[in-house]
Amino acid sequence: MTQFSDERGAEMRELFFETAQELLQSLNEEALKLERNPADAELVRSIRRIVHTIKGDAAACGFRELSNAAHELEDALTLESASSHGSQAEVAFTAADTFGAMLAAYRRKGKLPSSAPLAKMIRELAQQPKGKKRSKKATRAPVAPAAWTEYEKLAIQNAVSRGKNVYHITTGIDPHCAMPIAARQLVLNGLAPSAEVLGARPEAGSPASTQRLELLVASERSADQLTALCRIPTVISSVVVEPVGAAEPKAKKAATPEPAGNAASPAPSQHAPSPESGEELAGVARPSHTPMLAENILRVDAERIDNVLNLVGELIIGRSMLQQAFTEFARHVPKEILRGRFSDAMAFQSRVLSDLQRSVMKIRMVPVEQLFRRFPRMVRDVAKQVGKEVGLVMSGQETDLDKSLLDVIAEPMTHLVRNAVSHGIESAEERVRNGKPARGTIHLTSYHHGNQVIVEITDDGAGIDVQKVKAKALEKGLLTSEEADRLGETEILALVFRPGFSTAEEITEISGRGVGLDVVQTVLHRLKGSVDIETRVGQSTTFRLKLPLTLAIIKALLFRVERRLYAVPLNAVAEIARARESDVHQVQNYEVLQLRDRVLPLVRLGCAPGSDEKAGSGKIFVLVISMGERKLGLIVDRLEGEEELVIKALDDQTVATDLISGASILGDGRVVLIVNLPAIVDRHSKFRPEQGDSMVSGILLSHADRKNLREAPAEARL
Amino acid sequence: MEQFASLKRSKDGQPVRYLMVDDSVFARKNLARIVETFGGQVAGEAGDGMTAITEYDRTNPDIVLMDITMPQMEGIEAAEKIVAQHPEARIVMVSSVGYQENIVAALQRGARHFVQKPVKPEVLYEVIKYVLGEDGAVAHAAGAGA
Repeated sequence: MTQFSDERGAEMRELFFETAQELLQSLNEEALKLERNPADAELVRSIRRIVHTIKGDAAACGFRELSNAAHELEDALTLESASSHGSQAEVAFTAADTFGAMLAAYRRKGKLPSSAPLAKMIRELAQQPKGKKRSKKATRAPVAPAAWTEYEKLAIQNAVSRGKNVYHITTGIDPHCAMPIAARQLVLNGLAPSAEVLGARPEAGSPASTQRLELLVASERSADQLTALCRIPTVISSVVVEPVGAAEPKAKKAATPEPAGNAASPAPSQHAPSPESGEELAGVARPSHTPMLAENILRVDAERIDNVLNLVGELIIGRSMLQQAFTEFARHVPKEILRGRFSDAMAFQSRVLSDLQRSVMKIRMVPVEQLFRRFPRMVRDVAKQVGKEVGLVMSGQETDLDKSLLDVIAEPMTHLVRNAVSHGIESAEERVRNGKPARGTIHLTSYHHGNQVIVEITDDGAGIDVQKVKAKALEKGLLTSEEADRLGETEILALVFRPGFSTAEEITEISGRGVGLDVVQTVLHRLKGSVDIETRVGQSTTFRLKLPLTLAIIKALLFRVERRLYAVPLNAVAEIARARESDVHQVQNYEVLQLRDRVLPLVRLGCAPGSDEKAGSGKIFVLVISMGERKLGLIVDRLEGEEELVIKALDDQTVATDLISGASILGDGRVVLIVNLPAIVDRHSKFRPEQGDSMVSGILLSHADRKNLREAPAEARL
Repeated sequence: MEQFASLKRSKDGQPVRYLMVDDSVFARKNLARIVETFGGQVAGEAGDGMTAITEYDRTNPDIVLMDITMPQMEGIEAAEKIVAQHPEARIVMVSSVGYQENIVAALQRGARHFVQKPVKPEVLYEVIKYVLGEDGAVAHAAGAGA
């Protein structure tokens, strides 16, 4: 790597690593296609192109080993591009893996992995029967100055009689030029307009032709002019033009090899420079153009975008501050004429701010395809491992998702897809026995739904047997038998996400799920998303991941419980119901509310009113939360309105409960805590009424907090 | 980075304008950085032969640096089509050693020259100077690269 200074070099290498990853991904994709259509020459060509690009880029970065390996592969693919075998796909897969490992090693400047297995495969591929024959004329290539044939001699006489000069041109091909045949063509091109080539030695393709080229030409030009024409930089190192039986008096003109690289020296004039022609050219009107669009795509460190987004978040807080100050101001001086102008300016600022926020968020969005594209290869590999036939269908790849989310869900997705192949899809025999096609199908899809992005992984396998899950949960003690009777199908299926529900061996018996599913759920909850299962025994299973569009800013509903301010994401709120305490009923120690035709289980965030208080008549608000299939009512004291919240993550020391997932600052400086709904739903589903009602009631505050709060003056800020 | 005496268009002393055609963004960037050290300007970029043709029409560059292997339309075909429309087009093929025969084909169809990948700046410089012929001028006074 000598072409660039260190800083530039580093920058270029970084770019190389990024583009190389994309190339490897394409390599995998094309290899998959080739595996399905082994006879498709176009695919082989496409793979070669990719490998070729990797080779070129790697060489430009000075990664010689990678470049060499790619070069060998490219050559091997060249040899039998027409009669291809399945093994080509196999080699391409191995190559993608090996190249990937090499890239990783280059990146951390570590030791290069062995590429021996790949080299062996390439050799085997190259050794397959091929019809390529080397030119046999090699041996008779003359080393001495060419002797012209009778026919050529005749041509000389013919040309002389027409008044042309005939020359014998000997050009030495630059030893640094790796493409002598192309060099030869270039010389021929150079001479073509002003000279007629009567003969050429040695023949193209012979070994000697890589060193020099002798030509017999007829021309009206002088020897000097021809010498200039043949002196082509970087490919021709020497030119000798000798007249052959013509009237040109100048006998010899030997051109000294031109030092390539000595750039500062003025260019030797190829033709006699004529001022007229220069002017003529300058006079030719060329349409003027807008000055270049050099590079439309910018690669930026994600951190920088996060910084911008953070600042936008601060601005949004600033906007609320301004708005509150203005409201107060308007109250103080209702007659002030400037109010209207302030209000207009603020409306404008607010609109621009919203646009700004949307634009910044859009920068962070990437299509889900980036995540999906790794799966075809993975499904193929896993299916091969477990000896099944599995196809993969993907749709909705263009759905946008926040980049940070994408990175985080990659792991759980991989997990689910792997599970679907190894456990979800049955063996081919079993499938045929059940009247299904032998080849299983996994469907990945993604779409927007409201303020969420949904990613679904569906397999057409055996499905999950709810009864077996139930039995397992009972056995593990995760469920009591009354609960088991009470729980609906969805709730029971949700049990597979419980930690310790099952280990790999055990789960395989019960239709093969649950391996590390608790991890999947943990990740999704951390992202303020959720995962649920839909299954039809014997037909299919769908894992549905629901993700927020972005992590940073949410529309939230603010409410108060026990004088403190909380918020929940607005998109989780299905409905807000008003009720009285007297409407709340007790069923098996659960509090429920009859809401139209359905019974809604309730969670009391605050403390139940004591008997001394206005029991029975107190007005309450119930936020109907829908989490997946489940609906739950949160009892809150008072609603405070909607607000756009910029979430600030809380560290573990700040909050002792998992029921709070974050916090935000309002325009007036008040702090609002964001309730972690999945955790509340989880708490509710694990709640055992017989253990007393302390868990579902007043769960947000500890007794100590509550006591402090009572002692605090009524006008406390929180 | 090595420094080169600036190559300008002799007719108006303006920077030489290049069209970069390569399916690898990396390769395009790499070439762009090199030609910038010659005082050149990137007039346009294309990732395949099809785009190369439309970009040529749009930008009318002084030099086209054209990769041989590209998706959709290979470099040879693109070069041929461009030259058919614009006989004055100066197309330099950029390729690895393995594609010599394709280079020959491209040269037969009107490409002016070729350079080998990985591209050495000093080689490309000489090639460009040659291909520009008298339409190019070395600016002696100005520091290289500008």
